[in-house]
Amino acid sequence: MKLTAEIAGERHELDIRREGSRVTAEIDGRVYELEVSAPRPGVYLLLAGGRVYECRVGRPEKSREAAEVAVGRETYAVALADPKRLRGAQAAGAHAHGTSEIVAPMPGKVVRVLVEAGAEVEAGAGVVVVEAMKMQNEMKSPKAGKVTAVNVREGATVNAGDVLAVVE
Amino acid sequence: MFRKILIANRGEIAVRIIRACRDLNVSPVAVFSEADAGAPHVRLADEAYGIGPAPSIESYLQIERVVEAARLSGAEAIHPGYGFLAENASFAQAAADAGLVFIGPSAEAMRVMGEKTSARRAAVAAGVPVVPGTTEPLSSSDEAREVAASFGYPVMLKAAAGGGGKGMRLVGSEEELRSAFETARAEAAAAFGDPSVYLEKAVERPRHIEIQIFADSHGNYVHLGERECSIQRRHQKVIEECPSPINDAGLRAAMGQAAVSAARAVNYSGAGTVEFLVADATREFYFLEMNTRLQVEHPVTELVTGLDLVREQIAVAAGEPLSFTQDDVAWRGHAIECRVYAENPENNFLPSPGRITHLRVPAGPGVRDDGGVEEGAEVSIYYDPMISKLAAWGRTRAEAIDRLRRALDEYAVGGIKTTLPFFRELVRDPEFIAGRLDTGFIARFFERRAENAKKSETTAGEEDSAERRDMALVAAALDYALAQKQHPTNHQPREQDQSNWRLAGRAALHRRA
Repeated sequence: MKLTAEIAGERHELDIRREGSRVTAEIDGRVYELEVSAPRPGVYLLLAGGRVYECRVGRPEKSREAAEVAVGRETYAVALADPKRLRGAQAAGAHAHGTSEIVAPMPGKVVRVLVEAGAEVEAGAGVVVVEAMKMQNEMKSPKAGKVTAVNVREGATVNAGDVLAVVE
Repeated sequence: MFRKILIANRGEIAVRIIRACRDLNVSPVAVFSEADAGAPHVRLADEAYGIGPAPSIESYLQIERVVEAARLSGAEAIHPGYGFLAENASFAQAAADAGLVFIGPSAEAMRVMGEKTSARRAAVAAGVPVVPGTTEPLSSSDEAREVAASFGYPVMLKAAAGGGGKGMRLVGSEEELRSAFETARAEAAAAFGDPSVYLEKAVERPRHIEIQIFADSHGNYVHLGERECSIQRRHQKVIEECPSPINDAGLRAAMGQAAVSAARAVNYSGAGTVEFLVADATREFYFLEMNTRLQVEHPVTELVTGLDLVREQIAVAAGEPLSFTQDDVAWRGHAIECRVYAENPENNFLPSPGRITHLRVPAGPGVRDDGGVEEGAEVSIYYDPMISKLAAWGRTRAEAIDRLRRALDEYAVGGIKTTLPFFRELVRDPEFIAGRLDTGFIARFFERRAENAKKSETTAGEEDSAERRDMALVAAALDYALAQKQHPTNHQPREQDQSNWRLAGRAALHRRA
């Protein structure tokens, strides 16, 4: 199986061949002979030359091509592209170039809207204050830019994933 | 001793109380909301009563329903745990009116200590030093400005009906005051139903050190030493330890005595905690507030003193005298506890609700985990997103840190984000290891972290990381291949993946042959 993968901002070419519990993996020309078992759903135990790698694969975006892999103490976002599929890879959280969406992470209530559409903001500036679990959370703009949309007003209830504002 | 106790709580603390009941051969009765119907605390109880829909306000905070459940079950006593109704004087009163024993202090003690300005007045009257501040709630931001000017900035705005770090605002200058006053009032109203705020002078490099006290109905008062809780984020405790790294027996005795005086002033009974601010440079201490309940971080005191505080609470409520005198109390070794929360440290610690797909809880020498979740459980948005409290004990602070580091690395939680990665960094931080703590610690920790991120890793570290990243890629690819093979277009339940893995492996082998 051949795939392209992106991890930590870099793209890699993968070629994975499996024979029972033996997996030969070629990544950008680096070759690994691995012993692999899957002790539980989503958990893969890889032995590389005897070195233990316990990998837990999750798909927070519910997309097959966007995974989160925890290996030991590190967690990586991995985006896969399968050349056999017509649709290309969807990297987790990709946006149109230059646009940042400020998204409600969980259900809550908008208690203050700090900017108007059209306003210029700095990176880290507060945009909307959402109250959830009795704490007020100030949602900040991840970048400097212009607020092109404010989709909520004070008092609105929001669901997880709702786009609160857009900064370009 | 009681035959039956109703636990008016959920999650980790309900499980904790059930365990103490089992030690005493007392039958535990649980209450649960619709979201908690299959929760561990229900399954561990002898009886369980549904008390309403998921939102706390419709279930765990419903005083009449909780009291009714106690009546139906025939329980003689109610343990309120912490949070929810634990410091609600009306609840204590309702329990008493229904002929039930409330496992905690009297409603009157809760009223005096529950309202922060009356608590300050009581402390002053008992001769306990307090932080300079108002003893009445502020009526307006103009009054706040006048009072703040008289103390000098920085000042701290706090909710009079509050606790747990909510409704607090540090104000550095007069320009910030009006907005801070309004925000503090709004948070206080939302969290405690009372917008009243008061004001204190902010202490320089303060350490948050609290004293555990215990009293019975026979006039005995004992202090169980201190816990240092200086590492806080947004005024919420994140990691606690016993004893304080200061480890000064004279300071402990003085603070213990002051705490006992405060408890005596309100005829306290049961477990309580008196919180102090300690100025790092001078070791002067000031009364902050008293919590008239068991604290979240009680395990570190239990690990170091060898006492079971919940069991003692139940015994005291049943009329027994304390099972220890002040001279009996000894502090052995060092314990540190982390609050493992379903929060995303990479995204401002915002709650990360969801289903726990994988859970490996650490164990082994010196490791204690107080949890209330299981694999497959849903961490919901309705309650505190706590996974567990992970504590480690060692003969020395260094040994406790070694064990905590090991336990944190062993801990694995899949399906949600947790604060584990944050704690793994914290226990390796030189300032933490050196015990240089005060409430500014977290801010400085994040600054150090940002600085370190700019520096490059060592060559050995790079090699390790490169291989680890490659393994992550392989695992992601294998997982993808498995999903594709079974259901090229549809989503497939995870649970079938394991046997499918083996089937796919056998098929691959046969093809080769």
